[in-house]
Amino acid sequence: MIRRTSIRRAVWAATSSALVLVAAGCGLHDDEKPLNTLAPKGKQADEIYSLVTPVFLVAGVVFVLVMGAALYLAIRYRRRKDDVDGVDEPIQRHGNTPLEWGWTILPALVLAVLAIGNVKTIWTLENDQRDAPMEVEVIGQQWWWEFRYDVDGDRKPDVITANQLVIPAGTTVRLAIQSNDVIHSFWIPMLSGKKDAVPGRTHHWAITAAEPGIFQGQCTEFCGLSHAYMRMEVKALSQADYDKWIEHQMAAPEEPSAGSEAEAGKQVFFTKCASCHQVNGYDDTGKKLDTHQPNGDYRGAQHPLIAGNAPNLTHIMSRDKFARNMFQLYEDGAKLEGVLPEGDPNAGTLGSWLRNPPGMKPMNADANRGMPNLQLPEDEIRKLVAYLTLLK
Amino acid sequence: MTDVGIEMTDDVKVPPLEGGHLTEHEVHPTATGISNEKLSMWVFLGSECLLFGGLISTYLLYKNRPGAIEVRDTVSGAHVGNAQRISDLFDIGFTSVSSFILLASSLTMVFAVLAAAKHQQDKLRLWLGTTAALGAVFVGGQVYEFTEFLNKGAGYTSNVSTSAFYTLTGFHGVHVSIGILILLATLALTFRERSQVTPERVEIVGLYWHFVDVVWILIFTVIYLIK
Amino acid sequence: MALVNARTPLELPSGAETTVRRPLGVFQRPVRPTGWRSWVFTVDHKKVGIMYGAGSLLFFLVGGIEALLIRTQLARPGLKVLSADLFNQVFTMHGVTMIFLVVMPLQAAFANYLIPLQIGTRDVAFPRLNALSFWIWLFGSIFFNTSWFLGGGADGGWFNYAPNNGVIFSPGHGIDFYAVGLQIIGVASLISAVNLIVTVINMRAPGMTWFKLPVFTWMALVTQFLLLFALPVIAVALFLLTFDRLYGSNFFNASLGGDPMLWEHLFWIFGHPEVYIMIMPSFGIVSEIIPVFSRKPIFGYPFMVFSGIAIGFMGWGVWAHHMFASGIGPMSVMAFSLSTMFIAVPTGVKILNWLATMWGGRLRFSTAMLFAIGLVTMFTIGGLSGVTHAFAPADTQQTDTYYIVAHFHYVLFGGALLAIFGGFYFWWPKMFGYRLGEKVGKWNFWLMLIGFNLTFGPMHILGLQGMSRRIFTYSPDQGFDFWNMVATIGAFTIAVSVLVFFANIITSFRKHRRTQEVVSGDPWDARGLEWMIPSPAPEHNYDEIPVVTELDEFWHRKYGHDEEGHLVRIASAEEVSQKGDATNVHLPSPSYWPIVLAAGLPFIGYGVIYNLAWAVLGGLLLLAGVFGWVMEPSTDPEADHGLHGGDDLEPTAEAAFEEAAAGEGDPQAELEEAPR
Repeated sequence: MIRRTSIRRAVWAATSSALVLVAAGCGLHDDEKPLNTLAPKGKQADEIYSLVTPVFLVAGVVFVLVMGAALYLAIRYRRRKDDVDGVDEPIQRHGNTPLEWGWTILPALVLAVLAIGNVKTIWTLENDQRDAPMEVEVIGQQWWWEFRYDVDGDRKPDVITANQLVIPAGTTVRLAIQSNDVIHSFWIPMLSGKKDAVPGRTHHWAITAAEPGIFQGQCTEFCGLSHAYMRMEVKALSQADYDKWIEHQMAAPEEPSAGSEAEAGKQVFFTKCASCHQVNGYDDTGKKLDTHQPNGDYRGAQHPLIAGNAPNLTHIMSRDKFARNMFQLYEDGAKLEGVLPEGDPNAGTLGSWLRNPPGMKPMNADANRGMPNLQLPEDEIRKLVAYLTLLK
Repeated sequence: MTDVGIEMTDDVKVPPLEGGHLTEHEVHPTATGISNEKLSMWVFLGSECLLFGGLISTYLLYKNRPGAIEVRDTVSGAHVGNAQRISDLFDIGFTSVSSFILLASSLTMVFAVLAAAKHQQDKLRLWLGTTAALGAVFVGGQVYEFTEFLNKGAGYTSNVSTSAFYTLTGFHGVHVSIGILILLATLALTFRERSQVTPERVEIVGLYWHFVDVVWILIFTVIYLIK
Repeated sequence: MALVNARTPLELPSGAETTVRRPLGVFQRPVRPTGWRSWVFTVDHKKVGIMYGAGSLLFFLVGGIEALLIRTQLARPGLKVLSADLFNQVFTMHGVTMIFLVVMPLQAAFANYLIPLQIGTRDVAFPRLNALSFWIWLFGSIFFNTSWFLGGGADGGWFNYAPNNGVIFSPGHGIDFYAVGLQIIGVASLISAVNLIVTVINMRAPGMTWFKLPVFTWMALVTQFLLLFALPVIAVALFLLTFDRLYGSNFFNASLGGDPMLWEHLFWIFGHPEVYIMIMPSFGIVSEIIPVFSRKPIFGYPFMVFSGIAIGFMGWGVWAHHMFASGIGPMSVMAFSLSTMFIAVPTGVKILNWLATMWGGRLRFSTAMLFAIGLVTMFTIGGLSGVTHAFAPADTQQTDTYYIVAHFHYVLFGGALLAIFGGFYFWWPKMFGYRLGEKVGKWNFWLMLIGFNLTFGPMHILGLQGMSRRIFTYSPDQGFDFWNMVATIGAFTIAVSVLVFFANIITSFRKHRRTQEVVSGDPWDARGLEWMIPSPAPEHNYDEIPVVTELDEFWHRKYGHDEEGHLVRIASAEEVSQKGDATNVHLPSPSYWPIVLAAGLPFIGYGVIYNLAWAVLGGLLLLAGVFGWVMEPSTDPEADHGLHGGDDLEPTAEAAFEEAAAGEGDPQAELEEAPR
């Protein structure tokens, strides 16, 4: 039995829910939230957003109609207090075939109309990727992202970086997404949808940044222990700036001045770090090579499954974050948006990382995934930081 | 208690029931006219189709995936070449013979069902035993074939085509073996004083056995014959 | 379980006395009609259903605690309540538990309890197999949870993608427990599916043609077919995974030719029908409750039936919508996107038909009705968000985010589970003879509804604003703080509502025991055959099998209608109900063998994972179970099981067969003389 108070309660519940929904809705498009799919900043994200808007609208209308109907029916046809069972009884309707056919066919028609936009968008995204003027290889492995650029088209990488994917703004880039171990997923929400990185396969996916800027990303396919911390970002530069950046990346690494702490750090690096991390122009024992083109198969990087290699550090300070794009390389107040960041290196965080990497991010270093705690003495840490902060 | 009349076709000759579950030796009136037991075997075989469908699909996906198998001579052990896939090692002639044997066992199964229907216990036991024996010969042939492959270097873990092949044919072989056990158990049960081996039960065993045979025909065609 | 002790008198609850005769095998069959043994060895579908329900509710608490741990860890950024490793185990176990150890067996509980009653028969087609299904499920579920104490739970997510599920990336035993445990549980559901399909096809009461079947039975039947065909596919996937992990095969090893996408395809070919398996019985429950409390028949029965069948068929053609971002290529994406969009149509039809049932009715807002309306509204939300991710490009933004988490919790919790709670309130009196408290029930419902919406509503926003799934924490600069805190508060509200539910059970039971009041067979003035018998349902169900002439047969014996179509009472419930006091009813006998056989499986499981010696032991138990089972007839002909007058059976069909085989006697005449 339902009384007036219950009706009041139901109406109150409905209105307050509606208000909550409206309140929640405000701020949905907030682009201060770095991963917001509803704040598109590039062609592909825009295409998806344009498809999704009418769909959400239709869904919203259906939602209001169904909730409204349920509330209305609950109130209008409630059993009254003085109804007598066996006397005050409803008409026994069993159905209404034309009506039921109607509400089967009508939703189907609505969906058919929406399907046109759906199919169009699927193929637009596919063609974006097929027609893209440039390509970057994106390789996921536990738990970081590597990016390889083949600038001269000789099938050998000319630039190998990590964490931060730099692209020219306004240009559609085809990503060739691969994995070295388990399934990961590459996702920069403000620029495009996500695409999985599956070992043994290459998936092509288009991405465009309309304007220069930095856009955050997150690995979105569960990949084990540090999945939550497998992040990356896209930095879009004007075409001119992008060309400068490529030139800079292809240049030889900075060399420390003789006798400096950084030089000592370089010694430590090639003793303790080069077995995984590459600095262009050197082999893994520190012997200088003729070329400073990066070695695409450094430490077996081309072999899938726990390659045992780690991010290329040749120009690490040209990026703004490290360790799966989690920690700042520069102190607060640094200018990050230009070709190269300008500001004070964050020696403290770098040092903490070197002191105990697994303490800062969960990893399985004993299984060759992630960086182990090398038990570095403090002076070596200092020297390494000096060397690394030099590598711009 | 009042008698609840039930509409029965002429084929099902049972007295009308008050209800309640009958002992298994009484025929249970069913809406379809097929007994629960027989219907359950059909339903179960439906799910088995999906099981083998999944395994066959896996093999089809992996049959041409490269991954070198170092083929060895089975007598000298010398390395005689590389095979890329298990199908390079097939001996169609041999497998045809064992397939024929399994097919023949389906025929003898039919004889067993006929014998049961005519209440010919001796003939029933003969044909049940023959079917089981032929099934055993088939399984023996499989074992021989796999041993040959193994000796030639195509082990379970050699590459994905071998893994998929052995898994598919292995599952089939297990089904045949279980079928043999059921046949032998049925045969043994015919010797019991109050034998539960009704003609229908033999028919149900036959359904399972024929299914296993049909699956083999599919496997033989898809895996061995179609390259 | 004593050895033969001929001529021991045995007193039965009816007061009659009988004797224990010489048994067939070594062990005398269990005969106790009360006490724990009457549960452990039962083959009665009602007891089996109740045990499924009790077991599931227990695991619901386990899965709920796992959920609270997740929500606590995610309440604020950077918390260290759970380490990353432990978090991965907790969310995996939460998912597997809620799906395989809670929602599926709860649906099985209702299917087992109700189907024979709704079709007017005394038990399912194979009562011992029914008990076997339950024990296999229970032992498999316990086996799966022992992983917590044996090195850690499975930690690859409930979908467990390859190659992360392989032995290189997940060297511990957690995933072995996942693979073997789910294999065992799958066997239980498969056996049950065969059983229930045969039951519904073959054992309907006279006159109950297909289009007089109650909607719940229809939906449950479609579910059984889905189980029948979907479970073998995941069985294949789990076998391949087990062989990879334990025997070194390379099915999912990309470096040796394996393809991780094979796992995805096999898993989701199972996984998509699986979600319809979880929701369809709930659709059936709602289709039973709403008509009763609207005092009108279900609107559009044929459309309800056909839409259920349509969903069953179409559900096989949409699986790769879980793989839109997996790289299946634009043609496949387009095909599956279109098929997924259109599966919304039959589902939408149901929602509208339920609303139309309420329209023009006299609505009574019992707790059961509130929960049923809960499904109608909450499932709509989940269904609508589902339609938004049918659009593949949109899904590339939404998949693997909290938007998906919101979607499936709305359809599974707001849909399947709310209806199940409604089913508890609705059928509790039939099962136990007393009602669950309505006042406390309303607190249960509203707390649950509010808590549920607080928890999962904000997840839509979190997902669209970029929060990824399966992450053990997030950073303050990502903008997820506020709604995560709201969701955590909601989760604890749900917890309170669940406690209220259990409190309701306890207080209602106590009141029942104190007052000794038993409700009538038809406390809700309901429609189906199951309300025609006393509460709690007698062991033999129907004194006499009813003859059915129309849908909602029981209702039409109570009510007719006048020229305008208004309802008119023609008889009271008592007048047309059965008394439940029949004697002379043969029932299938209890048996030891289901539980013995089922006990073998976890041992085989431990053997596969650790040491084959255990598997041998398990195999022996299995064989012993099979042997004992085959040797014993389904109904002990010597058994006086409390409900039989006591004469020896006259020659049976089997005896007639033997005589014919010996060339004597006339089988037909023998049959006609057989007792009833």
